[in-house]
Amino acid sequence: MSEGLNYTFLIDTFFIALSGVPITLLVTIVALLIALPLGFLLALTRINQVPVLNWFSRIYVSFVRGTPIIIQIFIVYASVPLILSLFFEKYNININVYNINPIWYAFIVFSFSTTAILIEVFRSALSTVNKGQLEAAQSVGLSNFQAYRRIVIPQALVVALPNICTATVNLIKATSLGYAMSLQEITLKAKVAANVGYNYVEAYIDIFLVYIILCSLVEYGFKIYEKRLRRYKYVSA
Amino acid sequence: MLKINDIHKSFGNNEILKGVDLSIDKGDVVVILGPSGSGKTTLLRCINFLEKADSGQAGFGDLKVNLHGASKRDIHTIRQKTAFVFQNYNLFNNKTALENVTEGLIVGRRVPKADAIGIGKKALDKVGLSDKYDSYPSQLSGGQQQRVGIARAVALNPDIILFDEPTSALDPELVGEVLTVMKNIAKEGTTMLVVTHEMSFAKDVANRVIFMDGGVVVEEGSPHDIFVSPKEERTKKFLKRVLPEDYTFYI
Ligand SMILES: Nc1ncnc2c1ncn2[C@@H]1O[C@H](COP(=O)(O)OP(=O)(O)OP(=O)(O)O)[C@@H](O)[C@H]1O
Ligand SMILES: [Mg+2]
Repeated sequence: MSEGLNYTFLIDTFFIALSGVPITLLVTIVALLIALPLGFLLALTRINQVPVLNWFSRIYVSFVRGTPIIIQIFIVYASVPLILSLFFEKYNININVYNINPIWYAFIVFSFSTTAILIEVFRSALSTVNKGQLEAAQSVGLSNFQAYRRIVIPQALVVALPNICTATVNLIKATSLGYAMSLQEITLKAKVAANVGYNYVEAYIDIFLVYIILCSLVEYGFKIYEKRLRRYKYVSA
Repeated sequence: MLKINDIHKSFGNNEILKGVDLSIDKGDVVVILGPSGSGKTTLLRCINFLEKADSGQAGFGDLKVNLHGASKRDIHTIRQKTAFVFQNYNLFNNKTALENVTEGLIVGRRVPKADAIGIGKKALDKVGLSDKYDSYPSQLSGGQQQRVGIARAVALNPDIILFDEPTSALDPELVGEVLTVMKNIAKEGTTMLVVTHEMSFAKDVANRVIFMDGGVVVEEGSPHDIFVSPKEERTKKFLKRVLPEDYTFYI
């Protein structure tokens, strides 16, 4: 054990942790790209009580929200290769499932869990937009699609944005669990560096700093965007 | 110009419209009176397909559509020929007054943007809001919002405008400005179907009054017929309740 903090290591490892940011962001962005539209569509099925799909989203949401992400990771990481190898064997496809980059599993797990959260976010946001807005749009000759795109969604988005921001920040933080499937993200990279000389405290400080910077930047970005979207509400208070 | 035949509508087991017929000519200002729950709103909503009737036909000039099984295209066509003014305005909250008025023109009817803005400004001028083009609904009083609502309908230049109690959500001191605007557009020959509790409007502006109760048209006629010499017992009872004791009808 060394006495005090190893500052050189602290600084070096900060950059190692930083080098995990692209992977963290990639997983976050892919998960959002899948979860935003999917969550929105499934939220619509709940609001409009579309048969079957409405039930599906409800069960899906309670299933995903009722289990820890780490367990979802274990389930996907353990079961998907099994299913794939059975499938590959059956069709004589020559791919070794254990060589698959763990980032694919990360995409799956985090899209799944974020979709569930966004279903609820969009559902509550859409329900704050009075039904009269849609009806007025229809009455002036807009199609359902146009009415949603131009009238309903912009209003729902303003309401949803703070929650989408929270979901995004939670997602960024949750990707740190990716180390459980050897995903080369921030946490894993710093921890691996720490393994060599047992400089865990320094590594954890670095991880801490990187997440704080990353999440603050994301929150700041959302705030600016929200301000722009809220223009029409400026004087309503 | 607009003919409605035998329209039926139930919510669950509750039959709200029990076979209503309606016929409106170009330039008519028709007022529908009736106690709360008699199905007035439901009737207007069915005409504009905001509610799907269980059965019934609508005729718009040569166009005949089934109110229950109308195709998307027919619904779109009818909505192009009608405009709706809502009880609680339903202005688009995320659009300015001018954008509220031009939205249906630009997006719904593909009018070029510059033309639409011209039409929109003229419509807002007509309802006395030339200084509010860029205000959002949250910046307007109830009366101003409803006037934008009327401008939004007028700008579409529809064959008929449907009004559902346009003044009943307003503070009493704001009712006058909206009624004045409605009188003005009636004078210009706009065809209007108006549900209202404003007897003065019915008396002064309407050329026909329909009294509805329990999902049917009980009686209809000129304002004079209905207010001075109603035939049906239910009409008399209703008028007695809504008109002041010493109300007399001048013509
Ligand atoms: N979407 C709905 N679902 C179930 N019942 C409804 C629905 N809309 C209206 N009703 C019922 O239909 C009846 C008639 O309603 P409607 O709004 O047409 O009456 P109205 O004549 O406009 O009354 P008011 O003067 O109070 O506006 C009411 O009893 C109402 O409860
Ligand atoms: Mg009503």
